[in-house]
Amino acid sequence: MRRRPGIAGIQRDVATREQYRSAGEEVRRASLQQMKAQLATFKSSLEAFALQHKADIRADPVFRAQFHTMCANIGVDPLASNKGMWAELLGFGDFYYELGVQLVEACLASRQLNGGLMELGALRAAVERRRGSRSDPVSEDDIVRAVRKLKVLGGGIDIVTIGRGTYIRSVPGEFNTDKNKVMELAQAAGYISAGQLASTAGWSSQRCERVLAELLKEGMAMIDDGAPDKIRLYWFPALMPQQQQQQ
Amino acid sequence: MGSSSTFSWPYFYQYPPYFTRQPVKETADRQSGLWGSLILAYCKHHKLYVLSPSEDIPLWVNKDINRRLAPEAAVSFLDDLVAAGSALWLDGGAKARCLVLWRRLPDVAAAIASWAASYGMADSVMLLDELAAGPAVAGTELEGLHREVLLRALQVLEAQGKVKLFKGATPEEEGVKFL
Repeated sequence: MRRRPGIAGIQRDVATREQYRSAGEEVRRASLQQMKAQLATFKSSLEAFALQHKADIRADPVFRAQFHTMCANIGVDPLASNKGMWAELLGFGDFYYELGVQLVEACLASRQLNGGLMELGALRAAVERRRGSRSDPVSEDDIVRAVRKLKVLGGGIDIVTIGRGTYIRSVPGEFNTDKNKVMELAQAAGYISAGQLASTAGWSSQRCERVLAELLKEGMAMIDDGAPDKIRLYWFPALMPQQQQQQ
Repeated sequence: MGSSSTFSWPYFYQYPPYFTRQPVKETADRQSGLWGSLILAYCKHHKLYVLSPSEDIPLWVNKDINRRLAPEAAVSFLDDLVAAGSALWLDGGAKARCLVLWRRLPDVAAAIASWAASYGMADSVMLLDELAAGPAVAGTELEGLHREVLLRALQVLEAQGKVKLFKGATPEEEGVKFL
């Protein structure tokens, strides 16, 4: 072969690159297939596991949460479809559906009391009371999952973090950062005064009055003029410690 | 005016803001309902019939949380009970004394009629004082009945044609004839 570094050389390079590329594709294809095969193995093992431990998953909230984590790591969502294989396997769809209904009922029952903002632990306890002593126990993790599913349906239910607490908000409307801040600052004592709010948050008195008035109007706050120094205090029923809450 | 068992206070009694009349209507309505029920339960437990909005009783004053229900608020909650037919002001507009009907008047009337029947009181005449206290009612559910409640219950019976009330020269001589 006569050396033709010009066009032939270029053509040879192109051909070589092409060979490498198709070889690379082959490898990728093989890897992908291998990965899919591995995933399928994971999934069927998971199904077998779920079937074997069905009773434990239903009865034990901690085990159930761990099972969810395992599924998530593999990329499986047992709650994805009510009619899916998982729903059949575990009766999961029913469990979370029922839980969703119960937690909405519990929120509605206490809405007048706390303005539609309920602490997660308190909600769990209220749901447990509704379910009765003989049904499967539910954890806060279960409640959070059920709320996430409900969120998809719309209707104004949401999870709100205030300070170091988790709350479920069941009324539509804006729970903006200002309101959140007020309740976070009031969290320790359960109440706050306009003056304390202004100095701790660094807000103007108008801003304080406005947020407190909004919270009052929405039923999330109550006034208290009976303090010894006569300074008006704002209390937040949603922050009430659990033992004090209405049965 | 004692009690054999301890009165159990509802949750809101331990929560300071409930001792202040709330400005927001929905909250205020619920607050009034809660206080109304508490007032009736408290009076029933302690067999109290007359309340004064400014008296120093545990109902209005919770020493544990250092809060006192202002008399104006107490008047407001009692007004709501009056509107619901569960209480009466004994002093017109002054609103310093309120008769609390923790037992409905028709029920008290029925209890009197039942007592009269079982004691064979037909055609008998009694002084109101004897009906409120004394050997005739000792040990029965009529014992200790407040005179104002007794009088009004008898008025119910009179309207039903079961008794005839008559006044004496003095309040001590007010009496009733069972028909």
